[in-house]
Amino acid sequence: MKEKIGVYICHCGGNISDYVDVEKVRDVVEKEEGVVLSKTTMFACADSAQKEIVNDIKENNLDAIVVASCSPKLHLSTFRNVAERAGLNPYNYVQANIREQCSWAHTDKPKEATEKAIRIVRACVGRVRYSEALEPFTIPAANIALIIGAGVAGMRSAISLADMGTHVYLIEKSHFIGGRVAQMGELFSTDEKGEEIISDLYDEIKKRDKIQLFTGAEVVSVSGSVGDYKAQINIRPRYIVPDCDMNKLKEAIAECKTEIPDEFNFGLTQKKVIYKAYENCRPEIPAIEKDRFNPDQKFLEKYKDCIDLEQKTETLNVNTGTVILSTGFDPYEPEDGEYGYKKAENVITLQQLKRLIELSNGKLEYNNREIKNIVYVYCVGSRQKEGENKYCSRYCCTAAIHAALLCRKKFDSVRGFHLYRDIRTYGKHELLFDEVSRQGDIFFRFNEDESPVVETANGKLQVKFRDILTNNEEVAIEPDLVVLVTGMIPRKDSSTVAGILKTPVGSDKFFNEVHPKLRPVETVIDGMYICGTCQGPKNITESITSSLSAAAKSNSLINKGEIELEPTIIRIDPEACEWCDKCAEICPFDSITKTEYSPDGQKGKTIALVNESTCKGCGMCAPVCPTDAIDIIGYTNNEIESMIDGLIKEV
Amino acid sequence: MMNNNMNSPEQISTNKLEYDVLVIGGGIAGQEASLNLANNGFKVLMVEKDLSIGGKMIHLSKVFPTLDCSACIATPKISETARNPNITIMTYSEVEDIKRNGNGLKAMVIEKPRYVKADLCTGCPICEEKCPVVVEDEYNYGLTGRKAAFIPFDLASPRIAAIDIENCTLCGACERACPPNAIDFSMEKKEFELSVKSVIIATGFELFPAEKKKEYGFGQFKNVIHSMQMDRLLAPTRPFNNVLRPSDGRMPDNIAYVLCTGSRDLSVGNPICSQICCMYSIKQAQLLLGALPMTDVTIYYIDIRAFGKGFDEFYEQGKSMGVEFIKGKIAKIEEKENGNLTLKYEDFENGGKTVEADHDLVVLSVGILPNKDVSGFFKSEPIALDIHQYVKQEDELMSPAKTSIEGVFVAGTSSGPMDIPDSILSAGAASAEAAAFIRSLK
Ligand SMILES: Cc1cc2nc3c(=O)[nH]c(=O)nc-3n(C[C@H](O)[C@H](O)[C@H](O)COP(=O)(O)OP(=O)(O)OC[C@H]3O[C@@H](n4cnc5c(N)ncnc54)[C@H](O)[C@@H]3O)c2cc1C
Ligand SMILES: Cc1cc2nc3c(=O)[nH]c(=O)nc-3n(C[C@H](O)[C@H](O)[C@H](O)COP(=O)(O)OP(=O)(O)OC[C@H]3O[C@@H](n4cnc5c(N)ncnc54)[C@H](O)[C@@H]3O)c2cc1C
Ligand code: SF4
Ligand code: SF4
Ligand code: SF4
Ligand code: SF4
Repeated sequence: MKEKIGVYICHCGGNISDYVDVEKVRDVVEKEEGVVLSKTTMFACADSAQKEIVNDIKENNLDAIVVASCSPKLHLSTFRNVAERAGLNPYNYVQANIREQCSWAHTDKPKEATEKAIRIVRACVGRVRYSEALEPFTIPAANIALIIGAGVAGMRSAISLADMGTHVYLIEKSHFIGGRVAQMGELFSTDEKGEEIISDLYDEIKKRDKIQLFTGAEVVSVSGSVGDYKAQINIRPRYIVPDCDMNKLKEAIAECKTEIPDEFNFGLTQKKVIYKAYENCRPEIPAIEKDRFNPDQKFLEKYKDCIDLEQKTETLNVNTGTVILSTGFDPYEPEDGEYGYKKAENVITLQQLKRLIELSNGKLEYNNREIKNIVYVYCVGSRQKEGENKYCSRYCCTAAIHAALLCRKKFDSVRGFHLYRDIRTYGKHELLFDEVSRQGDIFFRFNEDESPVVETANGKLQVKFRDILTNNEEVAIEPDLVVLVTGMIPRKDSSTVAGILKTPVGSDKFFNEVHPKLRPVETVIDGMYICGTCQGPKNITESITSSLSAAAKSNSLINKGEIELEPTIIRIDPEACEWCDKCAEICPFDSITKTEYSPDGQKGKTIALVNESTCKGCGMCAPVCPTDAIDIIGYTNNEIESMIDGLIKEV
Repeated sequence: MMNNNMNSPEQISTNKLEYDVLVIGGGIAGQEASLNLANNGFKVLMVEKDLSIGGKMIHLSKVFPTLDCSACIATPKISETARNPNITIMTYSEVEDIKRNGNGLKAMVIEKPRYVKADLCTGCPICEEKCPVVVEDEYNYGLTGRKAAFIPFDLASPRIAAIDIENCTLCGACERACPPNAIDFSMEKKEFELSVKSVIIATGFELFPAEKKKEYGFGQFKNVIHSMQMDRLLAPTRPFNNVLRPSDGRMPDNIAYVLCTGSRDLSVGNPICSQICCMYSIKQAQLLLGALPMTDVTIYYIDIRAFGKGFDEFYEQGKSMGVEFIKGKIAKIEEKENGNLTLKYEDFENGGKTVEADHDLVVLSVGILPNKDVSGFFKSEPIALDIHQYVKQEDELMSPAKTSIEGVFVAGTSSGPMDIPDSILSAGAASAEAAAFIRSLK
């Protein structure tokens, strides 16, 4: 039992002391059993306060400390380090949260907030009184990362990790790597070509032995825990014989007549069922959409050296230290009739326009009509008042303006009319906005409550709207093409991945980070990271920035070959345990199995065994144990009882 | 020299230093990059020009879009940086003449004298009390005064005193009063020769000087303040207990925000958008409605750029709390006798007519400008800057942290406007690139 306890009560500037009478808390707590020193401090986390605590511990031989301040999520490790620097075991430190739980929660009731603070601090003193000195334990960690999704984010992360010494499994669901970037032609802000970027990244990946790339591959299950995940991956066949004669395969493609919509061109064109994503795609080997392929026997016989429909899905089991999710986004697909989409003629999406620009030569044409005037309608599928997508898609203002500039550059006299809510060409992208305005494109602002109407009237495409910038005047334009500036949405299949990995999604349904500022690429699951557009809309630079950031985090976690874990897990008393299996049943982390216990070589008994690397110390198991055989380290029965005494004692 | 381990300041006897990475700038980007590298086992030297690390973030109130208290989430990082055994911090120091040296890089680091011995000062602040000289406090952006012997600010790291020798009258009051005899007027600048393998530039941004936009009367009209001052007035470490008008100390009841001050404005030579000011203004407006429930807040804007995760939702929240948004460009601000201000603006929503509106406090949402110090670091082999004078990203799409010099990377707002989340991510990218680069040297 600790008998020389120091207590510090923090003002947190005014964050706490504006509502909680910290002096009063100090006066009361000072009288608690075992408390030999108690002080208030303006900022407990400030450099000088930390120094002071270290000195106090040393001078007064304190054997435990409590800091009553903010959430332990923020400063637990700060003050554990303070304890450690003073030679005190860090687990003889307990943090009382009197900010989030008192001052911020009860701004209207300062008296009660103070009383609650007193109780909380007393409880923490009660807990620290019975605290034990603990040592963190280490588990081995494989310096291996599994990256799911080989778009730009996943590929760039793989290259970076390999260069930092990590072995990488990079798996891509499609038969071709690159994700969306290859589809987007010339890109802002550098006018590089998407396809070229992807080929370059592929070459870089091929140069590195440390990266193993699998296409047509999908994760079907993940088990284990940080440092030692086990993933099962299914690899779908391409139905092409490895290393076959490419010329012969080309012949086969030429002869094959079955065509299906080409989703690489967003349905603007058709492709063969034996296909490449695009001419220069990587890997360069074609693949077959088997479900849509009904060749006759003669054809199969003729090309049996190239085509093998008997190929089976293979399974690959890998061990990995960390998992990085980079599964990307889907472009928003407007509903039928949304701004005339699929109802009025010549209404397309921004992604279709980008393909159209790529597919056109000298003249911009759609439906056999030369395009001279384009109306762009912004925020389609984003910033919805009624719909699900409340968020702004971030990339689309800039992408639309860049596309408008491309049209002007590549084709003669194409004019743009932009119907927007706010133009969000933030940062240096503003120059593109200036440029397109200078070149003569015209901007109209519409009100979200009065969206533009796109329809075919008298055989002509027409857009009607009220322009806020000219006194809400009604304007009608008859363009050749309407481009819906569509946003980004979470991939349709991302819930499958989320289900397998148990990674949470936010209210916008994108994967969610732990904290946007403090831990932007980390998920709540240790060793699982998110990057690129699966976390939220981003342009390429932003996707890459986050993917490199995830690489840095993953690498610093596993590159030492071992990971330090919190010792605050459970302990099973072998004498008391009767193996009823109630604890194993309730554990949300599947951390309890059974083992034989035979202390002196005699015939033993079956008892519960805890997996130390997956147990989170959540405590679910302790109350269900009928024989009270489970103690949570750091929250032992002694500690909890003493906390309760502290909480209920009259103020 | 301040060592990371504050308990045993290691006196460096030689003037030659060797580290894996030099991180220039101790703002949020510099801290994040240093911590990533240190946790990867690299030895990092952080050189900070100011008396304390922390950058702009440590002085902010709450931060969008989550409204976390800025100091509360900044201090754990600062503390972690200051205590990490692989990170050494030199404050009040500057870098000169970075040049190639075989595989690596060489630089001069100059530690300016703070006239207080770091290992002796306890931060008691007796010197501050005794010092008779009062000057403007730069950490409160001129809202309050400080002494010539002073502790920079409460959350400073290191939290020790310094003497502002420019304003010091050499009266010796502090020297006589200092209990541990930490004050030493004979201190001189020290020069160190540094060899490193890689450099990360994280020197941050400059605030647009509001007085440059003459039409808005900053510096002339008392009740025109800039947004960084407002963030100070709202912070938990705020100088006064409430938000008050400078002219008469009255609580304002009709506040105006002027967005795009010094941004998107060729007349002041800055055509780009600063990317953060729409959002921080909406943040401040929300905080003001909380602090002064009877007050009206109007935001005059061109476009509201709420583009990041959770940002547009934050904007909508601002609207629903009652913040008024007017699409209008402020042409001129005039002062009335009672200190109130008349804003003349082009009302875009009403055909672009010029309209007038009265407010009793005006906040200029100043934009951000590049920190021009960077070119001074590289005298022998100049570093490429972009047309706006930010550090040029040589491979913007695929390696956003790369600069024109091999082994030199850029993090945070040194390469362009960014909010805190983006600064942290970009620091992560810079650290990954630096780690891979160093490994490639072996
Ligand atoms: C019309 C349009 C134009 C654009 N123009 C530009 C521009 O000019 N400049 C710019 O900077 N940005 C532009 N962008 C944004 C850019 O496309 C994205 O920033 C970028 O694609 C994001 O890359 P990513 O790797 O995160 O995702 P993606 O490109 O979507 O890649 C994700 C990859 O993961 C794979 N995957 C998904 N699920 C799984 C799974 N379960 N298992 C295995 N693999 C999986 C996918 O098949 C895909 O290959 C544009 C976007 C659009 C829609
Ligand atoms: C009024 C205002 C409110 C804001 N509110 C928010 C908000 O609510 N949420 C949000 O996300 N963002 C906000 N921001 C933006 C935020 O401040 C920046 O994103 C962030 O500070 C950038 O961090 P940085 O490290 O790049 O730069 P800085 O914070 O500028 O840090 C740079 C560091 O480098 C040092 N340095 C400079 N030159 C040298 C040199 N020559 N040698 C050595 N060191 C040097 C500086 O002293 C400083 O410590 C706000 C900005 C302002 C102006
Ligand atoms: S980036 Fe522009 S078009 Fe896209 S959702 Fe945001 S405001 Fe709308
Ligand atoms: S403490 Fe939680 S994680 Fe650990 S064994 Fe018990 S129920 Fe499972
Ligand atoms: S210099 Fe001396 S008087 Fe000033 S704060 Fe430091 S110890 Fe106190
Ligand atoms: S962020 Fe908003 S206020 Fe700042 S420059 Fe851009 S548009 Fe103007």
